[in-house]
Amino acid sequence: MVEQNEHDKKSGDILLELEDIYMYFGKVCALNGISMKVRKGEIHSVIGPNGAGKTVMMNIINGIYRPQKGSIYYKGERINKLKPHKRARLGLSRTFQKIELFGGMTVLDNIRLGRHLHLKSGIISGSIYIGKTQREEIEARRFIEEEIIDLLEIESIRKKTVHMLPYGLQKRVELGRALALEPELIILDEPLAGLNLEEVEDMARFILDINEEKRWKVTCILVEHDMGVVMDLSDRVFVLNFGNMIMDGAPKDVQANPDVVKAYLGEEDLYSTRR
Amino acid sequence: MAYLPCGVYHEKYSQDQAFWQTNFIRGKMVLLAVFSLLVIPIFLTDYLSEFILLIYWAMGALGVQLLIGFCGQLTLGHAAFLAVGAYSSFLLMTLPWPMFMHQIGAVYPLVLIISAIIAGLWCVLFGLPSARVKGFYLILTTMAAQFITVDFFIAKYVSQIGGRQQDLTLSSDLVKIGPWTIDSKVDIYLFGVILLVISMAVVANLVRSKTGRAWIAIRDNDIAGEAMGINIIGYKLYAFFVSGFIGGLTGAFWGASRNIISVEDFLFGKSLWLVGIILIGGVGSLHGVVFGSLFMVFLIWALQEIVGMIGGTGNIIYFKEIAFGLAICGFLLFEPNGLAYRWWQSKNYFNLWPFSY
Repeated sequence: MVEQNEHDKKSGDILLELEDIYMYFGKVCALNGISMKVRKGEIHSVIGPNGAGKTVMMNIINGIYRPQKGSIYYKGERINKLKPHKRARLGLSRTFQKIELFGGMTVLDNIRLGRHLHLKSGIISGSIYIGKTQREEIEARRFIEEEIIDLLEIESIRKKTVHMLPYGLQKRVELGRALALEPELIILDEPLAGLNLEEVEDMARFILDINEEKRWKVTCILVEHDMGVVMDLSDRVFVLNFGNMIMDGAPKDVQANPDVVKAYLGEEDLYSTRR
Repeated sequence: MAYLPCGVYHEKYSQDQAFWQTNFIRGKMVLLAVFSLLVIPIFLTDYLSEFILLIYWAMGALGVQLLIGFCGQLTLGHAAFLAVGAYSSFLLMTLPWPMFMHQIGAVYPLVLIISAIIAGLWCVLFGLPSARVKGFYLILTTMAAQFITVDFFIAKYVSQIGGRQQDLTLSSDLVKIGPWTIDSKVDIYLFGVILLVISMAVVANLVRSKTGRAWIAIRDNDIAGEAMGINIIGYKLYAFFVSGFIGGLTGAFWGASRNIISVEDFLFGKSLWLVGIILIGGVGSLHGVVFGSLFMVFLIWALQEIVGMIGGTGNIIYFKEIAFGLAICGFLLFEPNGLAYRWWQSKNYFNLWPFSY
């Protein structure tokens, strides 16, 4: 009961709303009338078996795909027609399931790129560099060092080229890049996949940090298969199965729901995979 | 990854982001400046033509490097934008400018900038398909730029202007910046050095600021770039504009150094050579542009000497192509990252020398 109250206190206005989304690829129905409400300040998880349409859903929120039917509202504004870079301007950032970093750039440059929208210098002042651009770059560097690199504990690799890094660190850099945008809503598409136990714990800590710290207060949409982490972190869990919504509720209710258990191939001891 | 010598610590972000971080490097840069501004024009006058050619190739390849190496937009038609720059600078010079502007030497700088802008806009025009197509298909559209611009527009119409048959000429006393008349070889060389340094600095500055990072992001991963808020199409067109701008400057410089231009200077082969230079020098590296042009100019010069010594006279032109083609094959097989990577490796090696780590 205490947890329930805490949840109510945390969740404020609706930040993102999906309304009756249908998405087809040819005749394959990837999403079948999905509706979802993400409230400000919560961690809203999306779970489901492989091929359930979780990543399609994230791509729709992000604008990479456009749904055939249905509406997406962000802060009450319909954003169906906006391209991904316009949505980023609204404060929507994401990480990817398969790491989509810029392989040839250093860690620092990758995170600087996340800062893109906050930099104002155009092509002319950029080509002169001295003056406006230099001040701005130093300001961006200060922000990245003090806020992001410090938070994610990647000081030692800041000048390494990204494609040389181990997988776990790449995931962390990707989170850093998404954070550099200073987003209000961040989509975390399987941030824990392929990490070892220690890295999972680190990453879970970072997710809680960015969600709860006063500096960040980022609303998170978390797509994840690791049930232990999902049930511990999330305020709400959205369960998807082959394009259909099964339920959307508090973790405790989700765990109790027999349909959810069935969707996961009837694995009775599903939630005890990790602990 | 920059290694700093022992005992050098940065205390400010501006120090860490500077181009030249230690006094040793600054000293090397001063030496380079002395070499290129004093030693070459005074002592190496016999080789000035080669150095002018070197600047020309380096500037041309810089535009290609920006498109292919930094923005990932494959192009095989860059000679077209060189041609647009050269021809528009020649034609703009023939306009009836007021006499006093000629006297104070304001005409040529103005013409230089205007023709570079024309070339940039022309490049944007042929960059528009990049919004829709990538890779091999973009190569085709840029090849279309080559053939439409040079073989059709310029050969059929522009070069007929004024009743001249094929070539346009420009009197060298018109090429005047302020009080400086650029007519001797030394002047042309110094003019070229200034142009090359400015365009190199512009590209280097862009690459370390917002615009260039967006270009590299488009090259490496455009979907993620767009999710991070980059307007992909806009930045691609920026890249085409800057690349065409530099191409236009290159063409105008070529015209000024020859005082005569003809269609033959800008055929498809030249576009291929420009791409070859960055393949040899290293794709995605500013050093690579200079290394590639050095390799090419001096390789050909050495070949000419050798063939002259052997006594072969006629077929030197084919030797050139064969040698260059073989060099590209060799680099793709044995050093796909080009001379710039080799340079970086040897620098790193000597950073720690004589210890292995």
